[in-house]
Amino acid sequence: MLTLKANLIVNNKVKLTTKDSKAFEGVVLPDTNSKKVVLKLDSGYNIGLLISNIKEVKIISKSKKQTSKKETTSKFNKKLPTISILHTGGTIASEVDYETGAVIAKFTPEELLSKFPELKTLCNINSSLIGNMFSEDMRFSHYNKLITAIQKEIKKGTDGIIITHGTDTLAYTSAALAFALEGLNTPILLVGAQRSSDRGSSDAFLNLLGACQYIANSNFSEVGICMHESSDDKSCLILSPTKTKKFHSSRRDAFQSVNGEPIARVFSDGKYENISKIHKTESKLIIRPFKENIKVGILKAHPNMFAKEITNYSAFNGLIIEGTGLGHLPVNETDKETKENSKILKAIKSLSKSIPVFMTTQTTFGRVNLNVYSSGRKLKELEINGDYNDMLSETAFIKMSWLLSNYPKSKVNELMNQNLRGEISKRSSKKKFL
Amino acid sequence: MQLDYKKLGFKSGLEIHQQLETHKLFCNCPSIVHDKNPDIKFERKLRTSAGESGKIDQAAKYESKKQKTFFYEACSTSSCLVEYDEEPPRQVNKEALEIALQAALLLNAKPVDEVRVMRKTVIDGSNVSGFQRTMLIATGGYIETSKGKVTVDSICLEEESARKIEAKDNYVKFRLDRLGVPLIEVATDASIKDPEHCQEVASILGMILRSTNKVKRGIGTIRQDVNVSIKGHPRVEIKGFQDLKSIPKIIEFEVEREIKELKNKVEPHVRKANPDLTTSFLRPMPGAARMYPETDVQPILLTKEFIKQIKIPELITEKAIKLEKKYKISSSLAQELVNNELFVILTKQFKKLQPTFIAKTILEMPKEISKRFNLPKENLKPYHFESVLEALNENKINESAVLQILADAANNKKIDFKKYKKVDSSKIELEVKKLVESNKNVSPNGLMGLIMKNYRGKVDGKKAMELIKKYHK
Repeated sequence: MLTLKANLIVNNKVKLTTKDSKAFEGVVLPDTNSKKVVLKLDSGYNIGLLISNIKEVKIISKSKKQTSKKETTSKFNKKLPTISILHTGGTIASEVDYETGAVIAKFTPEELLSKFPELKTLCNINSSLIGNMFSEDMRFSHYNKLITAIQKEIKKGTDGIIITHGTDTLAYTSAALAFALEGLNTPILLVGAQRSSDRGSSDAFLNLLGACQYIANSNFSEVGICMHESSDDKSCLILSPTKTKKFHSSRRDAFQSVNGEPIARVFSDGKYENISKIHKTESKLIIRPFKENIKVGILKAHPNMFAKEITNYSAFNGLIIEGTGLGHLPVNETDKETKENSKILKAIKSLSKSIPVFMTTQTTFGRVNLNVYSSGRKLKELEINGDYNDMLSETAFIKMSWLLSNYPKSKVNELMNQNLRGEISKRSSKKKFL
Repeated sequence: MQLDYKKLGFKSGLEIHQQLETHKLFCNCPSIVHDKNPDIKFERKLRTSAGESGKIDQAAKYESKKQKTFFYEACSTSSCLVEYDEEPPRQVNKEALEIALQAALLLNAKPVDEVRVMRKTVIDGSNVSGFQRTMLIATGGYIETSKGKVTVDSICLEEESARKIEAKDNYVKFRLDRLGVPLIEVATDASIKDPEHCQEVASILGMILRSTNKVKRGIGTIRQDVNVSIKGHPRVEIKGFQDLKSIPKIIEFEVEREIKELKNKVEPHVRKANPDLTTSFLRPMPGAARMYPETDVQPILLTKEFIKQIKIPELITEKAIKLEKKYKISSSLAQELVNNELFVILTKQFKKLQPTFIAKTILEMPKEISKRFNLPKENLKPYHFESVLEALNENKINESAVLQILADAANNKKIDFKKYKKVDSSKIELEVKKLVESNKNVSPNGLMGLIMKNYRGKVDGKKAMELIKKYHK
């Protein structure tokens, strides 16, 4: 048995004979473990075989280090803009490493250009690997790392930055960058992919191409998101960093504007049309990063709520409530069944005295209004913040965390109500709703 | 030209693709192969991507060079986000997996310990994702043929591609109803001896797959790909056979073509069968580089317990032999009657009737009605057969009236047994005698025509001829 396992080294080509005398020839793959061996047969198929069923292993040839692929070399073209691509993770530039089974980033400019050859005629590419993680695992320290990397690229004089990112929390990161980079004068686009780039149909290609084209051709110089507009491989939208949400777990047009409009539309041939006005800031870049120990929570209101859900946040620095409807919590004691609601009111009263509490709505679309129903009015009396705002709860979470990182606590409530980066719209437009 | 296949170093293997009658392989959409009125439309582009080995597949590269736009049309009744490559696949359809395992066991093959779903790069647009999901289910099977054992190398379960409905220089249009329908792929080794043998192997494999009783029937539901080579010529795969009968001739022409090509340097490639039985170049032969793992679907462990509970169905040929003996019917009728429940019911119900006649009534008469009277045989429902056979069983009509009555039914006319009421035999004899006497110069066949003009369906033709011969001198 020992020699049997010793011969099952990844990338060895072996001939296996099973106890019922079937023979299989193939290359040992990394999924092999103490119970089973995974073989790639000559036909290309992979199969799993139980080690307990194997009688004999013969090595046909030993593991060879794979020769590296022929790569396109990138030559600097003075006539073209230079775009820096910073990779944080996600499917967009990663591949499965079949040697180790891990997902790795193929990320040198050469590797990128061999994958996306049409970029060569558009721009010069610089690239660096910031991280390679699932976006849901990100913490504020990762935002700060990214901010530092961006600063470095801007200092080098890059014409634009593309951040490749996992889609799950991409819209949180875009808001974080929008707040942290005040007075930005360089285009930064976050790009993700809903279908992995190891398939011919991946949306990664058009999203990345669209981002490069928009940076190369437009005078945009802020933070934005570039993702598919529809199921078609025809156009991408450049979306606001603070008013965009991932609305679908798998569709390529998952990212849509909320209570606002996209910034622009980029077609696959590079042509683009601006949809909403670009705010051009003329001030100097000021970097305000995140404090990594800031604790802000998001609480979703729901029926049959308990006061404990609110008191849980007493040790936090701030709380965003995703209220029902116009911004409500269950705070009315209307009969003997609703006694808990009075406790909720008491809990929220006490919490809002110690930390900033901000109301958003779980309807996603629309504006908070704490003046219409008694629940809202009771919350307003307690100075729960957020009346008349139409911010996404994700953006509100990032904004509050950032304010707590950079401003005195006493200023937070006031600044939460001010529109700093297009996160609160003045007027409620009827234009776009799902 | 008479070819000596052995001397030529003839090598041939078969791949059979059979659609299954279950819901789709990686989602819960029904398998409606011809869904009409698409309500969803979108367009995509496809790119090549490297497989596990870091190599880009030959065939994929060839397609990629064409840089086409793909237009997709889909019906929400038969497809969902999984087909549009807008949602990851669900787990493998368990029923389809069980049918594939039934087929594997019937083919004497051994299931693998663990099934791993693969992506086979296909970027001609026929798979929205840019690959076809496929998995190896079993290996090392065989079938018995008139020319010895033929090894079945592999049994795979895979998803069907989309249906091409329009192709131009810069775009191709597909319909997504068929995409994702489960397919069993059975591949033999290259031990097929000659073109006729290939047809025999295809027919046996088809019969075995049909024995699961869970396969789709009709045009396009089973497809054969044939691999052919002779000594000194690389392997050529031929796709797109219209029917089994065309296999020997197409192989023969292909071998003649390969003989002529022997002097040239040729790469292995795929050809398509043309209606005139010749073949033409389709694309380079795809290799192992086109396969990489489907990371969105967990591997499936085939435990001994799971395999044990798979019921091995009886082969159609075995069932047919039983029917042949039980009902004393011809073997060709028996083959057709396997799994025909109507036949079993009717033979139980009408004991006075010959099973052969019942079989012919339900199998052959509808075909004849469609051919001779150009009437839609689909109009014939089980109760039509039942009522007409009941009348025959009760001796109310003659056997010869059955076809006429069914033809009326196919024509949507009300069945009127009175019209075909059996005429008393003494009355007929009298009528024949009179007719023969008054038409002395008319031949027996002519007389028959005259009789039938008045008594079609009401008298038995054989009986009438006997009577004519009795009086005609």
